[in-house]
Amino acid sequence: MSPRASAAIARHEFRVMRTDPATILFVIVMPVVLVALMQRLFQGVLTAEGVVGATGAEFAVPGMAVSFVAFNAGYTGLTFFRDHGWGTWERLRATASPGDILAGKVAPSVALSVAQMLILFGLAVPLFDFHVSGSWLALAVVVLALSLCLNAFGVAITAVSRTSQRLNAISSAGGLVLATMGGAFVPIPAMPGWAQAVAPALPTYWAMRGLRGVILDGGGLGSIALPVAALLGFAALFVVLAAARFRFDETKAYWG
Amino acid sequence: MLRVEGLRKSYGAVAALRGVDLEVPAGEIVSLLGRNGAGKSTLVSIVAGLRRADAGSVTIAGLDVLKHARAARRVIGVAPQDIGIYPIVSVRQNLRLFAELAGLPRRAVAASIRDVAEAMRLEDLLDRLAGQLSGGQKRRLHTAMALLHRPRLLMLDEATAGADVESRAHLLDMVRELAAQGSAVLYSTHYLHEVETLDASVVLLDGGRVIARGRVRELVAAHARTSVELRFDGPPPPLALAGLQGRYGRTERHGDLLRIVTGDPAGTIAEAVPALGAATPRLRSVEVVRADLESVYLALTGHRYDGVEEGAHVSAR
Repeated sequence: MSPRASAAIARHEFRVMRTDPATILFVIVMPVVLVALMQRLFQGVLTAEGVVGATGAEFAVPGMAVSFVAFNAGYTGLTFFRDHGWGTWERLRATASPGDILAGKVAPSVALSVAQMLILFGLAVPLFDFHVSGSWLALAVVVLALSLCLNAFGVAITAVSRTSQRLNAISSAGGLVLATMGGAFVPIPAMPGWAQAVAPALPTYWAMRGLRGVILDGGGLGSIALPVAALLGFAALFVVLAAARFRFDETKAYWG
Repeated sequence: MLRVEGLRKSYGAVAALRGVDLEVPAGEIVSLLGRNGAGKSTLVSIVAGLRRADAGSVTIAGLDVLKHARAARRVIGVAPQDIGIYPIVSVRQNLRLFAELAGLPRRAVAASIRDVAEAMRLEDLLDRLAGQLSGGQKRRLHTAMALLHRPRLLMLDEATAGADVESRAHLLDMVRELAAQGSAVLYSTHYLHEVETLDASVVLLDGGRVIARGRVRELVAAHARTSVELRFDGPPPPLALAGLQGRYGRTERHGDLLRIVTGDPAGTIAEAVPALGAATPRLRSVEVVRADLESVYLALTGHRYDGVEEGAHVSAR
């Protein structure tokens, strides 16, 4: 792999990203709006769980952060499909190695996911009286691990998708399942028993567990070891799946 | 610069390349000719490292493209057949990506963009969105993206397809200039007259095999004969065939076509048409196929080339 080539592709992806600021704004603003709508609801839920002095932001903010990154997992795949649609995929392949292309395309998506979550956490402090009782560094580590994991998921679902429609369908359904079943939309104790049993099989469960430990239970780097290890394990699994199935010489169909 | 040996490639049961050998020395233009499906694009894509061959080898500047893929990529510039540009960023940003990927030092990128833009007449369009360019401008940008690092091996696949006359002429000038500066150029095309304009060596592909190679004039001298082609509504009349047999070179009938090989096309037409007699109303067209690259192709394959070529053409009705 060539870090220079990956960096060149990553810079180019950022330039492409900047041509559509409305989409970037949407994925940053929408979670803020949803937190405002749902904060009171989650205040009641947390109070019922015995959290003293809860504002609701303690669940709504990480929940929306994790949900929107899950919903956005297909964005990574879109960057591959766009090149097929524009006829630039073959050109890239003739100029850069598969590893360079992969790293150059995934890195900006990971950065977008991290920025999306950290901006929400940052805005929530003045807007929603959001407090982190533990370590902000630990929170950032969970955010980074989740971003790596869900973008690896994005590459894996790209690998099995021949058309952009299929990618959209899998990423929409997958994002919804990851957000709801992983406990980002509904607190785990409020979910039915079978769903609680299934939840640990999803990376979002481990992200929510790690974030909750830092936000509500005063956790530091030690407290997130297991959740981060689980997230990185899922990321490795998705990378293996993607590596086994990704065909760089496959023709993908892009509409839109 | 480029050496291809025994290249074979099949897509399922369809054999695209059946043992192709090819050499392109530095400073030379080799034109790859063949109809759709002859194997041109497959050959270019294997040389560019985009597809793996089933058998055979490709070396570029002494580097095996499979074992030294990264180093080989640095040496080549390739513009595939279909236009591939990023429409939502500027011309400059399109060029910048490929200049950086080619490994140009940061300070050299801007100068390289300026030089190539000037050479391809894109200098006034650098800050325009690529998607807003005309078809010819897009084709020029597409080709420019392959030239930024002055590649030692340039591969252009149908580079002038859909280009306007001016863009086409300019591109051919550019190709000649690069070859004069020492680049090896593999130029795949449908258009026979471009090969003659470039004074390129020719490699003629048909059905995945090289059926001829050499300079245009050598191939024409060795294989081409001028002929007159008469087309009829229905089969050519036996009378015409009988009347002409033996008086000229070879005569052939294929479906509605009567082909007469002759050194005197005007005289042949003058004698053949009146000799048609009652079949004259069924005569649809008379065409002179001159001794050029197209007639080389015809002589070697038995069928006409499907690129658009001009020829002396006389309508009978």
